[in-house]
Amino acid sequence: MQEPVIRTEALTKYYGRQRGVEDLDLEVKRGEVFGYLGPNGAGKTTTIRLLLDLIRPTRGRAEVLGMDAHAQGVAIRERVGYLPGELSLYDKMTGSELLQYLGNLRGGVDRGYVASLAERLECDLRQRIKTLSRGNKQKLGIIQAFIHRPELVVLDEPTGGLDPLMQHEFHRMVRELVAEGTTFFISSHNLPEVERICDRVGIVREGSLVAVDEIESLKAKALRKLEIHFASPVPLTLFQELPGVRDARLENNTLSCSVVGSMDAVIKTAARFEVLNVVSPEVSLEEIFIEYYQGGSDA
Amino acid sequence: MLSNIFLKTLRDQRVSFTWWSLGVVALCVFLVAYYPSVTRTPSLSEFFEEAPEWIKAFVGESIEDYTSPAGYLNGELFYMMAPLIFLIFAIARGSAAIAGEEHDGTLDLLLANPLPRWQVVLEKAASLAVSTVALGAVLWLSLIVAAPAVNMDISHARLAAAILSCVLLGLVFGAFALALGCATGKRGTAIGVATALAFATFFLNSLAHVVGGLKGWNRLSPFYYYIEAEPLKYGLNGLHALVLFSVALLLVGLSSVFFARRDVLV
Ligand SMILES: Nc1ncnc2c1ncn2[C@@H]1O[C@H](COP(=O)(O)OP(=O)(O)OP(=O)(O)O)[C@@H](O)[C@H]1O
Ligand SMILES: [Mg+2]
Repeated sequence: MQEPVIRTEALTKYYGRQRGVEDLDLEVKRGEVFGYLGPNGAGKTTTIRLLLDLIRPTRGRAEVLGMDAHAQGVAIRERVGYLPGELSLYDKMTGSELLQYLGNLRGGVDRGYVASLAERLECDLRQRIKTLSRGNKQKLGIIQAFIHRPELVVLDEPTGGLDPLMQHEFHRMVRELVAEGTTFFISSHNLPEVERICDRVGIVREGSLVAVDEIESLKAKALRKLEIHFASPVPLTLFQELPGVRDARLENNTLSCSVVGSMDAVIKTAARFEVLNVVSPEVSLEEIFIEYYQGGSDA
Repeated sequence: MLSNIFLKTLRDQRVSFTWWSLGVVALCVFLVAYYPSVTRTPSLSEFFEEAPEWIKAFVGESIEDYTSPAGYLNGELFYMMAPLIFLIFAIARGSAAIAGEEHDGTLDLLLANPLPRWQVVLEKAASLAVSTVALGAVLWLSLIVAAPAVNMDISHARLAAAILSCVLLGLVFGAFALALGCATGKRGTAIGVATALAFATFFLNSLAHVVGGLKGWNRLSPFYYYIEAEPLKYGLNGLHALVLFSVALLLVGLSSVFFARRDVLV
């Protein structure tokens, strides 16, 4: 078996008394897109900064590309791209100056490739970074993580600030690079995004890894919310009896409910009536967790 | 200018360095322009000669020959003004080098590159040294260009020695601010503590001439090694310059050790 690209053993970080992460055992395989999902303050950024040797563990250790994160940090960072969660760029530079500088610190990079990345994300490199919008800064942050064609790309909440169109372009780039063998470690608190691009997901909560799962089984257990607006009254009990449906309510001909796993039954039942609109409100991660465990213990 | 951290750090300073240089040039123009009025007032010398011993000690011995070019520059420039300029310049840069970038949040991006942390510190320290020396060169050039206009006769070599002393003094405190920034990651702390220490050691050196109990203790002050041997009159004191240089170097070494060991703040 191939050795993992990332492996942590009982990795623990305390900031004084404040818990960062605790006893983290994590393995990321070569060539996969690993989603690192967790609510605010769960320890995602802490984990990532431990991998980059920006902070040092209180206990335990981390290996990246088979090397010790601290002792061989320089050799690791040569082959890793990183997007910080709280991105700050050199305000006074232009985008192209920034990328040139960071490329030079890596001993020079392929300029044509940099230009093509910028073009794909529609990033204007001539503008001073100070005057860029948040989304455009984020694009620069993403580009700089890719310029040296790293084997492993670690992205801390990459799509914050990107508009949906650019998010899709970014997802396409990830998919293409994965096809070329790149491994991704992506933190997020956005389940739909993780579902779209990841192969496996680790769920972290209050500093501990609570589950690692294939994306398919996560989808099967994940909770979604659904609102269906009907043209005329419908019988509520019909929906309440469907498998996986919880908390079904009817108000002004609008059915709201939560669904665990497949939506198939609900949609097919709804199709018997005249449907005006279907909305799927975003679910908070906390709600997903609760459901994930209830679902897990039921099975 | 973007090929490494050293050059990029210098490049970042080009605007502020220009302003500092203009300030130094302006100061030299004033100093030189006022020199004739001092020489025309012999009573000024006499006044200082009659001054009580403690004032002389406090203001510096050079006051006794205040009207000579060297005496004038010692009293007006090297006693207070020049150290102030180089200290502020170097402390600002030393504290910005690591702690400033940490505060701006760009350090994560920088340290994600395949460079050991000591190299980052060393390149930043080198750019601090080069820019401080460059400011010294601006001061030297301005003075030697302006002085002949008023027949102010100064030795170029000794002027260079005095300015080099001052540059080294600045570098000691700049390196101290760098070390504090590397150890704590806090720019404010670095500036504050380095400035406080500069004032304390300045007064320690001055007061040691007057207060009997402090005699000898001024050897602990960098200002002693900067001015005590009066490089403007007698040339560079190699030993004193070496002390300043070594202390600065030691502090840079400590900086990289401190920085390599700790967490980068967000
Ligand atoms: N420098 C620090 N000092 C003290 N506590 C910290 C520090 N950095 C993080 N923490 C704490 O560690 C915990 C984990 O934080 P972390 O930033 O890793 O969370 P996160 O999962 O990245 O959250 P978010 O989704 O908000 O980015 C939090 O409780 C946080 O308060
Ligand atoms: Mg975070």
